[in-house]
Order: sequence, then structure tokens, then C-alpha cells
Amino acid sequence: MEKKILALITLLLITLSVNAQRIKGSDTVLPLTQKEAESYNKTHSSSTISVTGGGSGVGISALLSGTTDIAQASRKIKFAEKQKLKKGGQKAVEIIVAYDALAVVVNPSNKVTNLTREELEAIFTGKIKNWKEVGGEDLVIVPYSRETSSGTYEFFKANVLNNKNYMNGIMSMPATGAIVQSISQTKGAIGYIGLAYLNKDIKAIHVSYDNGKTYIAPSVENAKNKSYPIVRPLYYYYEAGLESKVKPFIEYVLSTTGQKIVSEVGFIPVK
Amino acid sequence: MKQFRRIVEKIIEGLLTVSGAITSIAILLIVIFLFKEGIGLFSSPAVEKGYALYVNSKNNVSNLTVEDIKKIFDSEVSSWKQFSGNDQEIKVFRFEEIFDIYSEEQLGVEYSLLPNKLGEIILQNPNIIAYLPIEYAPSEVLGIKELPIKSISINNFFGGEEWIPTATPAPLFGLLPLLLGTLLVSIVAILFALPLGLGVAIYLSELAGERTRKFMKPTIELLAGIPSVVYGFFGLVVLVPIVQKTLGLPVGETAFTGSLLLAIMALPTIITVAEDAMRNTPRSVREASLALGATHWQTIYRVIIPYSVSGISAAIVLGIGRAIGETMAVLMVTGNAAVMPHSLFESARTIPATIAAELGEAPAGGAHYQSLFLLGTILFIITLIISITAEVISKKQPNTGE
Amino acid sequence: MDKKISQQIAFWIFRVLGILVIVILFWILGFIIYNGIGVISWEFLSTSPTEGMTSGGILPAIVGTVYLVIGSMIFALPLGIMSAIYTNEYAGNSWVVKFIRVMTNNLGGIPSIVFGLFGMVLFVNTLGFGDSILSGSLTLGLLVLPLIIRTTEEALRAVPNSYRTGSLALGATKLQTIRKVVLPAALPNITTGVILSIGRVSGETAPILFTVAAYFLPKLPNSILDQAMALPYHLYVIATSGTDIEASRPIAYGTALVLISIVLLMNLLATFLRRYFERHKR
Repeated sequence: MEKKILALITLLLITLSVNAQRIKGSDTVLPLTQKEAESYNKTHSSSTISVTGGGSGVGISALLSGTTDIAQASRKIKFAEKQKLKKGGQKAVEIIVAYDALAVVVNPSNKVTNLTREELEAIFTGKIKNWKEVGGEDLVIVPYSRETSSGTYEFFKANVLNNKNYMNGIMSMPATGAIVQSISQTKGAIGYIGLAYLNKDIKAIHVSYDNGKTYIAPSVENAKNKSYPIVRPLYYYYEAGLESKVKPFIEYVLSTTGQKIVSEVGFIPVK
Repeated sequence: MKQFRRIVEKIIEGLLTVSGAITSIAILLIVIFLFKEGIGLFSSPAVEKGYALYVNSKNNVSNLTVEDIKKIFDSEVSSWKQFSGNDQEIKVFRFEEIFDIYSEEQLGVEYSLLPNKLGEIILQNPNIIAYLPIEYAPSEVLGIKELPIKSISINNFFGGEEWIPTATPAPLFGLLPLLLGTLLVSIVAILFALPLGLGVAIYLSELAGERTRKFMKPTIELLAGIPSVVYGFFGLVVLVPIVQKTLGLPVGETAFTGSLLLAIMALPTIITVAEDAMRNTPRSVREASLALGATHWQTIYRVIIPYSVSGISAAIVLGIGRAIGETMAVLMVTGNAAVMPHSLFESARTIPATIAAELGEAPAGGAHYQSLFLLGTILFIITLIISITAEVISKKQPNTGE
Repeated sequence: MDKKISQQIAFWIFRVLGILVIVILFWILGFIIYNGIGVISWEFLSTSPTEGMTSGGILPAIVGTVYLVIGSMIFALPLGIMSAIYTNEYAGNSWVVKFIRVMTNNLGGIPSIVFGLFGMVLFVNTLGFGDSILSGSLTLGLLVLPLIIRTTEEALRAVPNSYRTGSLALGATKLQTIRKVVLPAALPNITTGVILSIGRVSGETAPILFTVAAYFLPKLPNSILDQAMALPYHLYVIATSGTDIEASRPIAYGTALVLISIVLLMNLLATFLRRYFERHKR
């Protein structure tokens, strides 16, 4: 009995083949990477890729500890993180694979359509608590956020909240999909999601960054022509030393086929 | 040949002895690893490692707590007067802002000019407070003062009321919202599960016929075997909307929903242990009661239950343990807001859910990472206490003599 | 009369409670079976996810779970059985045995997320296995160890002492007795414990979150240092992530159904085996 077990273990250890390419990180980029990997696998059947989510923070943390080859991120790598890599004698290479418009969404029954950045900041930091304060019904505002590991969380904080901290009791959902589900079920809800996640169950808010002069809706066109103010790049980060390992896949993503997939998922191609 | 066999047998028996120790070794390792990382939190500086806060020397502020730092950087406080300084408006400066002011070339090769530029900004603005990496800070310059940063204190952790592990510049690691959230959800769950579980246990041990029992026991074991994530899925898709609609709440993800789900999950534990305890009541005790003229029901609540009270208490304690340790189901239905719970019908966050949700992004060795390990240690200690309590309680047997 | 009435009322309440529990179970099971049954097909069980996880199947998750079950059993079975043999056959009733039993019980009460935390810091980080089937199996093995030890101990205890004394009287050594007489007699109950452990391991999510689980693998893992998909994690991510939650919902139900079926099957098998062996005890 023991002999059989030993043989099995030896067999498994022998199959220690070339390690799979690991891609970890942002839940925003996740659907894109998953589709790219799916498509890549059809034409490059010898490759092995594993895709995992968890949030941009997870990806970059894994990059720093060497447990992933590519970190997908919806926020730029922080200065401190770059320095950590530097200390270990490594360097992070940054590739932009797509652009993403960040949509602020509410329940479809909510009459409010226009909000300024200042109002959004006040709502998410807890200073405005009721929809009637921004022209809606007398309804408690229920803001939803991503978890702290999310790049989307960080980007929204830096870009829309001007680096203020989110309000204390904000609902914290483990993934964007959960935010979409909750907002579609909750009348007073408001949250932020990548444009690719927009669907008929929730309603997008038109945002103004010029104090109410113009309100722009989130869409691929408005992101492309730069009129929509909340657009961010989506990144792949990898350690410079692993360039030869990750190059083929990254080139695929940046190729015409790969960029077509970007559009299909709902992001904006790098062009 | 016999010699060889003897040796082999000795080796195998040695292996067996070592295997016996495996669970003790495992627990020891768990304690060591968790505790070592967790304790490291109290030697971590209150702001991110490698960073510090700098003010102009003219500013006579000398001491800021983590809560103060958070309020300043959140613009909740706007004047230095609050901190026994001048009545001047606080100007907040974050390190990244330097890159908006100067280009990469202006900052020099390898950022050699960076400290100077930062120093200029601080000297020019007497009311500034700057959050800068120590490596590039103009700390040697006259006119610039580095604020002493304390390490995260035990008080900050055990008494803190806010859990904001990614706040910049100073994260807040307050245990209270998480601990209270965990206790709230678990205890309410047991409040639901106890009467139901006890009732079913009584039914099974006293009332049910042989056939019913043969049917119900595997059914309950099945309930116990359903994976946590499946319960979570059920809760997310079925319970949350029901709770939202029936109770008219703004949102269905609440501590209450979590308690409902946990109650169902803790039921099998309570039922099996309580039922076992009640069935073990000796026949003599039962028959004595009936002989004295008591009905079956009176026998149950006057004799059997008091007799099995230690077993029933053990059931409750084990149920609580099960509820406290649940991760996935709770993560999916309670909304996960890290606030001091004010009401059962608001979102809450438990300790296991926090660990599961935040561990991935905490860079190894950082303060956030250590705080999660400290949470794990606390969770481990709580369940250890519960485990030992249950064992001690169930050993206590009442006198059978009368 | 009062006594009788209050008894009737009390007993009826208890009957209702008993029915309530059954109803809850059937509600949960029914919900999943009803919504998931339409999704199950041979294709679902044998193909990979496609179209951004909104169609296709869950084969990699099934395979991953199988690997993890095998892996965790490789670690937990021999260790667990040997440990139980030690405490039951060798160590007598000293304080050592009592201590070990307490430790084993405590290990069994530890929440699964703590195992995940420990597995991450020990196997993934310190020992450098990274997140891999190896780390996941070791972590799950540790989780299920107390269960195997407990059921094996009970199985060993149930073997009548006459077997042991008889064998020793015939001149066998202690080890030979264990190997040739006690273990085979205890095997049925040990098997029941193993089956229950398989059910347990298949459903655990928290221990694999940071030690092995991946969102998507276009190909099946081919080494123990690879990440793997797994059924419980798959259910979790499909239910909470992905662009089109509505469209992937059917897959979530299907996954839940497969997961529950495995647990159901294992439980039924264990119960059936238990009854079979009880009836055939000599």
C-alpha cells in the first residue's frame, strides 16, 4: 500500500514540467485576461496559463513576492511598491493593455441621472446621506464599494474622492459582480464599476467634472474622445527578468486579435 | 532474517509514535507562525514602513495619534488649533503630488534632486504636513521637523473602533468593529438555533419512532455536510432578497441575514450533541419519574433536560464555535461593512470574513499582513477556549443518586 | 387533564420543529436541484468554461477538486491512521494519550480560514511551494486529519480485544497483529471515515483561497506545482465575479448541484456502508 503511494508521488514529482504562466490581480481586468487566455490557448496549445482574481492589490503583492508572472492591475503601481522591487534588484515593466471608463451606477428606479464630482465625493465619504439632497427622492443613500484590495477602489478614491477616505460604514463587496447584483436589487444604492460590467439591470450616472456645466455619460466613444472624465488605463506588470516568458502572451493581447477581444469585453483598445 | 524484521518493526513503531504527535505538532506550529506574525504588528510604525510625516519647524505640533492623522488627511479637521498649534489652515501634502509639480527630468537622475524640491515646498509652506518616504525626505534640512511616529499600540488595536487597513497615511487597525460584528452575528444565530435545535433533539430522542429516526439522522448529517460556500450562495440568492423585501430594509445584506444562515449551519451540531446527551439519560432515572406519576413531557423538562444539561451546554458552546468560525457563507451575505454594529439590520463584518477578503492584497510582512495574522491568532484562541470549554462542560456529570 | 393538554401541545410543537428542519433542508436542496438540473449535461461535466465563463462546462474545477482530494488523502490517510494506531494500540491510557486526544479535538475545532492562513504562511511562503496543488493538498490534509484520526480510533476501538489477544497467543508480534488482524477488522469503519473526509475536502473553500485556487485555467494542471481550479472556489467566483453575473448564474447552479451531489453521494455511501457492516458483524 505504501509502495503504491510512493510510486504515485514520484510520478507526480516527475511531471514537474515548465511552470505555468501565472496572471493574478485585478477583478476589473479579470474578464479580459480570461477571454484572452481562452483565445490564446486555441492557437498556442502548448502554453499553460492560469488566471486568478482578487484585486489589483493581490496581483501587485504577488508580483512583489514572486508568486505571479504578470500582475493585472486597474491602478498604477505605487511608488513604494516600485521601490520594494528595486530593493530586490528587480524592475517592474508596465504595459497598458486597455483603457476602462469607470461608471457610477444606481438602481434603475432612481430618478437622479446627473451628479458632479463634488457630489460624488460627498456621497461616498458619507457627507451626503439622502438622495433628496441631490435632487432625488427622500431615500437613504446606500453606497457600495469594492474591497480594499481593488485597484478600482484605489482609482476611485484618488480620482473621484480626491484621496479622501471612504465613509466608515460603506458596504464592501468582494467583487464587482456582487456590486452589480446588489445595486440592481437595492433602490437607494450607488456604486462604481468598470464599464465592461454595465448591463441593463443598473443605470449609469452622467458625471460632471466642471461643477455642473456639462454632464457626460460613460461610454466607449466618450472615453475615446476624452470627454468622459473618469477613464483609467488597465495595466499588466511583470518583472523585467521574466520578459522572455511573458512576451508571447502580452504581444498577443496587444495584437489586432487581442485588441478586438478588448472591445468585445467592453473596454477601450489601446489603438 | 528475524533480526531484520525486528529492526523494521522498531522503525515502524517509531514512526507510529511520531505520527501520534502529529496533531500536537500541528497545533504548535500554527500557534508559532500565527503568533509570530501577529505580534509583529505592535512593532510596526503607525504610518507605512519607510514613510514619515514632516512639518515645518515653525509648527509647534509635536504629537499626533493615528486618529488625528486620519482626520487631517480626510480633511475632517482644517486647523492646527485642534492640535495645540496655531490657528492656521492645515495644508496636506502627499508624496505623489510632487510628480504633478515637477517632471521626471527636473527631479534628477535617480531622483537625486527630489529631497531638495520637497524641502523647498515644506519651507515655503509653514502650515504644511507632508507624508513622504524617509528615503527621499529632506530630513537634514533646518526648518523641517519630522514628527515622531509611534508604533501601533495595543490600545490602538484592541480598543480601536475603526478598521481601515488601507487608509493613507496611517491605517487604522481597530479590532472592536470586527470582534463585535463576529459576536453579534454568532450569538444571534445561536439564539435562533438553540430553541429549534433543542426542540428537534427532544423530538428525536423522545418522540420519534425508529423509522423516523432512521430517516432524520442522515438528513441532519446531510445538512451538516453542505459546504459553506453553497450555503453562502443560497443566502445570497434567496435569503438576501427575502430579508430585504419582508423587512423593508434598504439593503438585504445585513448581520441578521448572516445570523439566519449561521443558525441553519449550526443546527446539526446542536441537534446531534444535545440528542446524544438526552439519549444517554439512564432508564432508571426516566422510569423513576414516570413511576412517580409524571407525564412524558413533565419527565422531559423536569428530569431529562436537567440531567443532560451538561451535554446541552456543550452543544450550545460547540454551536457557537461553529458559527464564529464560518467564513464563506458570512462573507457572501453580511455586506462586510467594518463598522461598530449599531443594529442587527445593518451590514456587519466578521473576523473570518475579514481575513478571507483582505489577505490576498496585504503585502507579506507589512502592517496589514501582520494585523490579519493577529486576527487569525485571536480567532484561534477564541475557538480554542470554546473547544476546551465544551470538553470541560460535557465531562461534568450530575449525581444519579437521589 | 391539564398535564395531558400541555404535553400534547408541547409534543406537537416538537413535531413541527422536526418537520421544519426537514423542510429547510429540502428547501435548500430543492432550490439548487431545481435550478441546476437543467444545466447538467455530459458537456457541462466534460468541457472547460468558454465565452468568458458564461457557457461551457466546469471540467477543470472537477478535475482540480479530484486532484485536491487525492492529494489531501495522500497526506492525511497514512498519518491519520498511524496516529490513531499509536494512541489506540500502543500508548495505553497515560496522560500522553489524553493530551494527544485533546490536541486532536482542538485541531478539529479550528476554523477553516485559520488553516488557510497557516497553509499560506507555511507551505506557500516559508517552504516556497507557491500556490499549487501541493500547498492546497497539504493544507486540506491538515484540515481533515482530525476527522480521519477520530473515525479510525473509533474503528480500532470497536475491534474486540479477543482478536488481539488471540493473535498474540498464536505468536504474532504486536505489529503483525495490527497489520493482519486489527486493521482488516477495522477497515470498514475506517473506509466510512475516509468517505466522509472526501466529502468534507471537496467542499472547503477557505483553505484553498490562498493556497491553490485559480479563477481560470485554459488547460488542466499538469504538475503539482500548478494552480488548480476547484468546485467550491468556482462556485464562489461565479456567484460574485465575472462581467455577466446573470448569464453565468446557470453555471453557478450547475456547480452547486455538482458539489452537493458529491457530498450527498459520499454521505449516502458512508451511511449505507455503515449499516451494511453493522448488519454483517460476526
